[in-house]
Amino acid sequence: MPSIVVEDLRKSYPKRRSGEVVRAVDGVSFEVAEGEVLGLLGPNGAGKTTTIKMICGLIRPDSGRVSVLGIDNRRDRQKALRHISAVLEGNRNLYWRLTVRENMEYFAGNRGRSRRAVKGRIDDLLGSFDLKGKENELVNSLSRGMQQKLAIAVAMLADTEVLLLDEPTLGLDVETAFEVREHLRRIAYAEGKTVLLSSHDMAVVQDVCERTVIINRGRVVVDEQVSNLLRLFQTRAYTITVQGELSDGQERQLRSKFPVLKLDKGAEETVIGVDLAHSEDIYELFKILEQERTPIETIDRSTVHFEEVFRQVVAGDVAAGALERKEVEVNA
Amino acid sequence: MHNVLAANIRKQWIELKRYLPNTISMIITFYAIFLLLFLGIQVVGAPGAAGESTRYLIVSMVLWFLALVAMQGIGWEITTEATRGTLEQLYMSPVPTWRILFARMVGEVLANLVVLFLVMALAMLTARQWLVFDLATLLPLFLLTILGMIGVGFLVAGLALVYKQIQAFLQIAQFIFMAMVAMPVTLSLWLEALPVLRGATMIRRAMTEGVSLLGFTGFEWLLLGLNSVLWLGLGVVVYRAAERRAMNRGLLGQY
Repeated sequence: MPSIVVEDLRKSYPKRRSGEVVRAVDGVSFEVAEGEVLGLLGPNGAGKTTTIKMICGLIRPDSGRVSVLGIDNRRDRQKALRHISAVLEGNRNLYWRLTVRENMEYFAGNRGRSRRAVKGRIDDLLGSFDLKGKENELVNSLSRGMQQKLAIAVAMLADTEVLLLDEPTLGLDVETAFEVREHLRRIAYAEGKTVLLSSHDMAVVQDVCERTVIINRGRVVVDEQVSNLLRLFQTRAYTITVQGELSDGQERQLRSKFPVLKLDKGAEETVIGVDLAHSEDIYELFKILEQERTPIETIDRSTVHFEEVFRQVVAGDVAAGALERKEVEVNA
Repeated sequence: MHNVLAANIRKQWIELKRYLPNTISMIITFYAIFLLLFLGIQVVGAPGAAGESTRYLIVSMVLWFLALVAMQGIGWEITTEATRGTLEQLYMSPVPTWRILFARMVGEVLANLVVLFLVMALAMLTARQWLVFDLATLLPLFLLTILGMIGVGFLVAGLALVYKQIQAFLQIAQFIFMAMVAMPVTLSLWLEALPVLRGATMIRRAMTEGVSLLGFTGFEWLLLGLNSVLWLGLGVVVYRAAERRAMNRGLLGQY
């Protein structure tokens, strides 16, 4: 049974001033399997936060269904919440006038657990999130990164099967974002939780998530394993730098064999850019270079980053059609 | 539920202690208000009834303080929590939020009892007028009256949940509460329907005239019980309706 099932979720809001109705989420459906780490990706205003909040039951959908471990969260929200904890966007999850430990104790108390019952777990979490030395400091005085780690620790303290994180690295500096990512990886893989995180930080998704659902303008445009998505977009583009110039015969052969060819000719060196349809085509290229015993200086293969994939998917919703085409290319 | 209650009482107590300057300024403000009104009684009041009027004044001030803490405090808290974002985290608990807020209001009242006793002691020492402290009578009286106040607190909380910008209303409400706690319920039968008035009247009689538990009629206790339970029930029902509206409109995280 999937841990989270989201079925045809829709939500529209009237804009505050104009009253114009905006469709924030427009028929979103996906599932998250038990123990899976799913990244909900999308540009600003795509509907990620609204979707996460509907899964938490903080916003009621106009239509559609959310179930958590088989519990319908509209019909039985309180029961569903026993299995969900969430870190919501920004540094808005904690009481700034309470200390680190007091925050943990307070939120555990609100879940009906006594201070004594959670003492040991709090000590463990403070240790694993490197917050032990700060336990008696006011949240007010913590750095943004520490506040975020504490917010995640508070969510972990609830010991729920499902953890939802909305933009967990937003507003963090590069180093802290990396640290938070490491904690998320640990939570995901060592603790075996089902994690749904939203982000527009590609590094988080590429690093932490197995699968991604990309939403744009309130709709799902891609639902795919991260590794598959990277493979689909992986181009076989090579850049080869050779010493000196190519002969006219070599250039002619290259142009006839490889239609997508870039040649930067120089007296010292020539840079050849080529997109190969099949990986074994590289031997043909080498044969042409070998004819004149042209010295090869460097060979580079361009690598694809998730950011690029995301950019391409979101730019004009190329998703479904383009992905299918790419899939055909890969299979061919 | 007792862990929720303990956590919220502790939170309110910690905040009261941690912001001591704020707490002290609260005590000074209330004491200053008392002094002004006390002076008023000395200057314009009938000389023969000054003692009784002062005792009446002290009890009314105590009740006003309680009303502000129980009825209005939660409105400020909801507004602040929505601004800071913690309100949504309260809604992530499997314990229904109205119960957490109930615990919060109880915590707020209990933590502020210290302030209340200080102000009351200062007022009594200044005026050299002593109130009657019959715990067996006062305990049930205060308990029931505070329950009714919490009911009104829920109404205010519901309003804050949906409309958020209710600071102006809260400021005006202070004076409405002041009138409520000072008005004897015996003036009109209709006043029985209003919250807090019945309890305030009985507390005043118990503390100024020394009326005991059995000195009140069964009917009076019944009226107080009914009034408090009905207002508490109404408050919770309205709050939960406001909560549904806020969730439908996605207002919990907005301010």
